[in-house]
Amino acid sequence: MTVNRRAFLKLAAGASGTLVASRASANAVASNSGVEPFGVLVDTTFCIGCRKCELGCNQNNRDLPRRDSPQFEDKRVFDTHRRPDATSYTVINRLPTVDTKGEPVFAKAQCMHCVHPACASACIVGALQKTPEGPVTYDAWKCIGCRYCMVACPFQIPAYEYANALTPQVRKCTFCYEQIVTQGSRPGCVANCPNEALTFGKRSELIELAHAKIATHRERYIDHVYGETEIGGTSFMYLSAVDFKALDLPEQGDTPTPALTEKIQHGVFKGFVPPVALYGLLGLVYLSRRKEEVENTAADKDEHHE
Amino acid sequence: MSEHVAVPMRAKFFTPGTLVVFAVAAIGICIYLARLVLGIGAVTNLTDQYPWGIWIAIDVASGVALAAGGFTSAALVYIFGNERYHALIRPALLTALLGYTFVVIGLLADLGRYYNVWHPMLPMMWQGNSVLFEVGMCVMVYLSVLYIEFVPIVVERFLGHVALPGPLGRLNRFSETLLRLADRTLNRFMGVFIVAGVVLSCLHQSSLGALMLIAPTKMHPLWYTPVMPALFLMSAMAVGFPMIIFESILASRSFKLAPERELLQGLGRIAPVLLGFYAIAKISDITIREAWPYVLESSPQALSFMAELGLGVLLPIALFLMPKVRKSIPGLFAAATLAVLGVALNRINVFLVAYNPPFADRTYVPSVFEVLLTAGLIATLVLVYRAAVIIFPVITPGEPLVTPVPARAPSQEDQPWVASESPR
Amino acid sequence: MNSLFCRIPSLTAVVTTALVTSHAYAASAASKTLPPNVPPSMLSQPNCGDCHTCANPTRQDDCLNACPRHTKAHTTSSHAAKEAPDSFVIDKLAEQYAGVNFNHKLHANMSEMGQGCAVCHHYSPPGRIPACETCHTKVANPTELRQPGLKGAYHRLCLQCHREWSHETDCKVCHQQPPAGAQPKSIKDNGDIMGQSHPVIPVPEKRVYDTPYKAGPVVTFYHKEHVELFGLKCTSCHRHENCSYCHDLKKTVAQKKTMEQVHAICSECHEKDNCSTCHDTKERPAFSHSTTGWPLNRYHTELDCRACHPTGKPIGKLMRDCSTCHAGWKTENFRHAVTGVQLDEIHSGFECTDCHVNRKFTKPPVCTNCHDDGRTSKTNPPGKRVERKPK
Repeated sequence: MTVNRRAFLKLAAGASGTLVASRASANAVASNSGVEPFGVLVDTTFCIGCRKCELGCNQNNRDLPRRDSPQFEDKRVFDTHRRPDATSYTVINRLPTVDTKGEPVFAKAQCMHCVHPACASACIVGALQKTPEGPVTYDAWKCIGCRYCMVACPFQIPAYEYANALTPQVRKCTFCYEQIVTQGSRPGCVANCPNEALTFGKRSELIELAHAKIATHRERYIDHVYGETEIGGTSFMYLSAVDFKALDLPEQGDTPTPALTEKIQHGVFKGFVPPVALYGLLGLVYLSRRKEEVENTAADKDEHHE
Repeated sequence: MSEHVAVPMRAKFFTPGTLVVFAVAAIGICIYLARLVLGIGAVTNLTDQYPWGIWIAIDVASGVALAAGGFTSAALVYIFGNERYHALIRPALLTALLGYTFVVIGLLADLGRYYNVWHPMLPMMWQGNSVLFEVGMCVMVYLSVLYIEFVPIVVERFLGHVALPGPLGRLNRFSETLLRLADRTLNRFMGVFIVAGVVLSCLHQSSLGALMLIAPTKMHPLWYTPVMPALFLMSAMAVGFPMIIFESILASRSFKLAPERELLQGLGRIAPVLLGFYAIAKISDITIREAWPYVLESSPQALSFMAELGLGVLLPIALFLMPKVRKSIPGLFAAATLAVLGVALNRINVFLVAYNPPFADRTYVPSVFEVLLTAGLIATLVLVYRAAVIIFPVITPGEPLVTPVPARAPSQEDQPWVASESPR
Repeated sequence: MNSLFCRIPSLTAVVTTALVTSHAYAASAASKTLPPNVPPSMLSQPNCGDCHTCANPTRQDDCLNACPRHTKAHTTSSHAAKEAPDSFVIDKLAEQYAGVNFNHKLHANMSEMGQGCAVCHHYSPPGRIPACETCHTKVANPTELRQPGLKGAYHRLCLQCHREWSHETDCKVCHQQPPAGAQPKSIKDNGDIMGQSHPVIPVPEKRVYDTPYKAGPVVTFYHKEHVELFGLKCTSCHRHENCSYCHDLKKTVAQKKTMEQVHAICSECHEKDNCSTCHDTKERPAFSHSTTGWPLNRYHTELDCRACHPTGKPIGKLMRDCSTCHAGWKTENFRHAVTGVQLDEIHSGFECTDCHVNRKFTKPPVCTNCHDDGRTSKTNPPGKRVERKPK
């Protein structure tokens, strides 16, 4: 019996060992379809906090509750810190810092449309998808409403319609997918930015642009493009004159957020070998036990007969 | 093998105690209905910052962990052949079955679009990268396996005397045929399901631990570790036997039975070994990741971690290791309860306490409704369990010490095991 | 690098011409030694190497230098403010808001104290200044991400000063909707600028800074010297300042400058100098040429520094020798004593080139043509050493 217990424990340890030791590519999310993905470069040094991007977003995303244009001219909203929610996909905050000239610093927050999105990796039914063109899209029809995407997002972006009893949706920036992919125009926020603090283009070209801007105006920017490498890259990238942490952009490593879980996941299910092996092993132990038992019972019966 | 066989309990369903439980369950069911009609926002304190609350941490995560008795006992008896524990298989199976059923019911309350819960089964929506997908599929298949494993008990009880009430009586013959068919075929394949149950449990118990690994920046370093899946599996295996001890003692008290003293003591010897492995893994993990300084900081997280490790793992190990404690039923009960609460606290810690979103401007505190719904679900589970053991032959009565099995002995109404202690 | 301005996109002929011209401008402007106002004649022949790092740039690898737009597209020629109307309405994009009543004259006058027209008209060749929309299209050009669209160009120009000056970024500050039926409001003439120059800003002769640098806390800066002696223009140093530097309506708490920012302006010229060039333990006297070991005589003091020192910002070592100017000096009319050595009788009979081979006067003379004992002018001077005395 002791032997058996030990064997059981060994097995269990082995099984859990496989979970962590196995390797798998975490980059399975990346699309290799040959389409050059889009991106947006947010140059916060040009942002004046006019909230026109919020207006453009509201006008472009027809399923959001409509707000009048004057509502977006109210600057009192800057007195509180805001985050995108189920009714607004992007918001500007006036951050508690000033730039080198003592001017207030503003920054827009929205879905970053990560290159390796944790939300899409987390989604149990693939309602969130990384498209080859860059946007991370959401299909409410598939969604079961588990909100694991909200847990997974390192930027705390997806919002939920908690008040909706029957058909609640996960809400986040759409990158105006229809518009940029089928109509070839710019997302609502970019098109509406008066100071062109937002630049829409191919992600690779935007990275070049960002570095060229930094090289030209060393005094203007911190020498870093946020989102170029963070968590494997994001589609929305930021330039700043102040520390990025002050812009509500959390410090992140370069490893894609879902790398570890996908590694574990694909390790455990690599060709279904580990579970099948465990099944086979336990099955064999079970069968040998069973045989012994049948023999014993037979022996018992014989004894009784005598 | 035990000479005793499982029999349906002969007891009234309603007692003053069950009425209280019934009231709690009724309140919970009302809130459940309110949630379906009014939405999640109306009854919970969940926000965009904290998308998961106690319904996930307690109803689902702790529920799955505490239902681990099903697979640990199956492994112990069927695979590793400790036949003497056979009497514990059926109660553990019923606990697992009801536990998982209520995990699903609790999950449905938390799902925004609960009517889409079947979506992960559609191949077009399969999402192999998702840990949750694996957990979902495993739980679903495992739940089916648990029901299949329960079928022989139904057969045993009803084969030959199916008598459905009223108009359903017409189905009597059909049901009888089904039961007969099950009786003839199922036993031959039961091994397949038993082993499958163990494998599926290992898979999803560990994957449950991988769920929160997708949020490295939001998790407190005391719990964010790449070996979390292993820790979850080890803790699930460790909590299986304490959970059986816990519920067995409760059930025997409720039905005025003498507890299965010898068996429970046996489990009490295995439990500290499994808990010990878990404790060693957990302590080495903290040491290797050099996370001890976080334990010393004065934060709710540090406190909760110390409670989890100290009161929920180390203390029960110590108690189980003391022969004196192991030999007394209250001692066993206390140690088992601590271990059960410790693992439940671990799940709550991982899913709630450790979760710290970057832009949180307030912390999550469950609403009254959330607490009442969770309490209601547990109460309903208890009621269904009671009903099930009255209807089906689940519990094997222990040595009838003072009076024959289900009969009532007023002297033992309060503490049936007290009398059984005295001979020693 | 392909997104830089140098690339020539196939746009309309106008834009292409403009860009080609700018390509030419850019190439020459990239060479740092050119003064800000480049004569048009110099712009016609850019040197490929000014922009490209390799000999044969291709479309795939254009091997461009980081030649920023503002250097390349910045070209100005002198224009009088009178060329433009005093004020006009900018309404080419007016949709959501009313057009902007822009007082050009007021801004043109103010700009004279800064970088002139170039504050806004970064590309203003001789002749008619091209309209913004010639290059800045209404929708930003997707192939040229560095170039803002028209809306961006307008707003950036206005906001680059207004944001710092008035701290107001409300749309309605500029986009004022005139009352219905009313005549466009004429903008009030702010007399202190309009039509008259800015009051004279007192220019300090020197400023003494007390710095936290322990080894040499005192930095003496001779403002007058830099302007008069070294020929710096106001904008050479003050170009990052605008009206708001002095006229800030709501001066916010001054940001503490970083060490780099403090040194940035000085290091543009003093890039190779070390700390002790400026930092000292006590106040320093003004610059005197005699401290360099070459006291200037009465003729040389009249000269501009650049007459002898090479062009370019830093005052470098003397790269030219006396004969650059004094081409007529020969053995007969050159008084060798001014160099500090009065030639003895034997040597005074030689031709200059006997010792100064190939007329290389900055190098030590060659003695080995006659002497084979390895002597040099240092060990055996060809005459008597005398003290140099400027007359």
